[in-house]
Amino acid sequence: MNRRTKTLQRIFRARILYLLLLPALLYFFIFAYFPTIDGVRISFLDFRFIGENRFIGFENYRQAMHTAGFWQAFKNTVVIGLCNVILTAFVPMLLALLLNEVRRKAWKRISQTVLYMPHLFSWVIVGGIWIFMLSPNAGLVNVIRDFFGLESIYFMSKEAYARAIMIGVNLWKQAGFVTILYLAAIAGINPELYLAAMIDGAGGFKRALYITLPELMSTLRVVLLLNIMGALRMFNQIWVMRNEVIAPKIDVLMYYVYERGLVQFKIGYAAAISVLIFVLTLVITLISNRFIKYRV
Amino acid sequence: MQTSAARKTFAVLNNLLLITLALTMVIPLLNVLAVSFTTDLESYENVIKLFPRQPSVEGYVTLFQRVAILRPFMNNVFVTVVGTFLHVVFCSMAGYVLVREKFPGKVLLVILVTIPMMIPFEMIIIPVYVTVKRLGLMDTLWAIVVIGVVSTFSILLMRNYFQGIPRSLEESATIDGAGEFTVFFRIYLPLAKPGLATITIFQFVSKWNHILPAVLFLNSAEKYTLQVALKSLVISQELTSTTQSVANNARMGGIVIAIIPLILLYVFAQKYFIKGIMIGAVKE
Repeated sequence: MNRRTKTLQRIFRARILYLLLLPALLYFFIFAYFPTIDGVRISFLDFRFIGENRFIGFENYRQAMHTAGFWQAFKNTVVIGLCNVILTAFVPMLLALLLNEVRRKAWKRISQTVLYMPHLFSWVIVGGIWIFMLSPNAGLVNVIRDFFGLESIYFMSKEAYARAIMIGVNLWKQAGFVTILYLAAIAGINPELYLAAMIDGAGGFKRALYITLPELMSTLRVVLLLNIMGALRMFNQIWVMRNEVIAPKIDVLMYYVYERGLVQFKIGYAAAISVLIFVLTLVITLISNRFIKYRV
Repeated sequence: MQTSAARKTFAVLNNLLLITLALTMVIPLLNVLAVSFTTDLESYENVIKLFPRQPSVEGYVTLFQRVAILRPFMNNVFVTVVGTFLHVVFCSMAGYVLVREKFPGKVLLVILVTIPMMIPFEMIIIPVYVTVKRLGLMDTLWAIVVIGVVSTFSILLMRNYFQGIPRSLEESATIDGAGEFTVFFRIYLPLAKPGLATITIFQFVSKWNHILPAVLFLNSAEKYTLQVALKSLVISQELTSTTQSVANNARMGGIVIAIIPLILLYVFAQKYFIKGIMIGAVKE
């Protein structure tokens, strides 16, 4: 009895703290927790906005497994995603090592600033710039081809180039951001390590290979994890850069969900695929978390 | 002797490579800027354009008169300013609660605030769409404001800043009879200015650049925010028809006006960008 009044008293005393936390909690319940659970529920329904929602068990999942479009989107996600994950982890690492060798501070800062810039721009901007660069009328790439006497290519309507363009433009946008992550890690390396190596007569290349690279491994794991998440969530770039000609090569899972669910209004079916991707994401996150913990 | 020659060669090659890379960033941007200031006719010329031959604002006239870009631009300003302001208020409030000493239910509340980091928005778009529809927010700018108005990342970032504030400061205030609100607004918030700056900047950029919420929730053209409006303008429909498409200069002008606020922010607040990126990386 006495204890209960005491707890109530403590709760009452903390009332303002609950109040301060309320907006965040409300938001998370309405726009994260509830939809997550609701998504699972919807995935078992023949969902419509008007009329009755029929429970159909695993029908939506079964249908996904038997739809060629789903598997094509899956394949596109894996191929484009894998290239993105690897390239946007290792190219920036090389860039960071090279930038680190630049002696003049001002130079280093300028190139860092410039490389980071595309990360600030939305996918509409980046996609727009590159579609224009690659366009056959007045696009920079084709103007250069023209200059060397080569014929113009309409890059955006060639299936063969589609994935490479998506991967390359993604690298262009993200490389600077990841480079800065690595540079931050390099800045945190104990300078005594370099001093000791120098006394032992190790040159710049050896120092990079035996000191800098190993010290970057934990950052690399973080970057890989970020890239994997990014690959599974990929939507904006495809929404901006796709067209009907190249769509079969580049429509990724999230785009497929959007298209089936909110363009064709097969809500239950799209929800089922979201649930599948979500589970896949959780599994990958857990595995890599485990991996990271064991290795550090 | 030879090693120093080798070193010099490396330095030269290295600088050359980095300059080339920097140019692949700068040249497209200069090209966009130059084309945006050409005349309609010149914008179709097949030459590398880093300067307009006859500087002209024809493209911008098209942009503001025929395309009426001002409306989506102002819509974007609205969702960005309101959304960022609320984000900073809500997240710093929540971050403050997390550094308070024990109170009933704290552990549970901390968990409830942290888990959503593992729920990416992209993966719940279908049920969120249904929720937004049920709440009657469909085709309103408030739907865009509310998505992402709280994030675990910002809450934890603010908590980290608050943790660095010495307890003694607030103890003396509490003795003077200051309540929870006073401690939060008068002591904690002013001392966490770098943290506030960091989350403000990051939220500003992500709100300004938002695409997916607008794609999902906005249907009528007068509600469109900048990125969605730009997409139909910038991404030419060359595959289908060229009859009613606008000239390259207006398309590139659209890109320019969408980039300007971001460049200004980046130039004036660069140190917070770098700081925020590093904290983010450590956090993950």
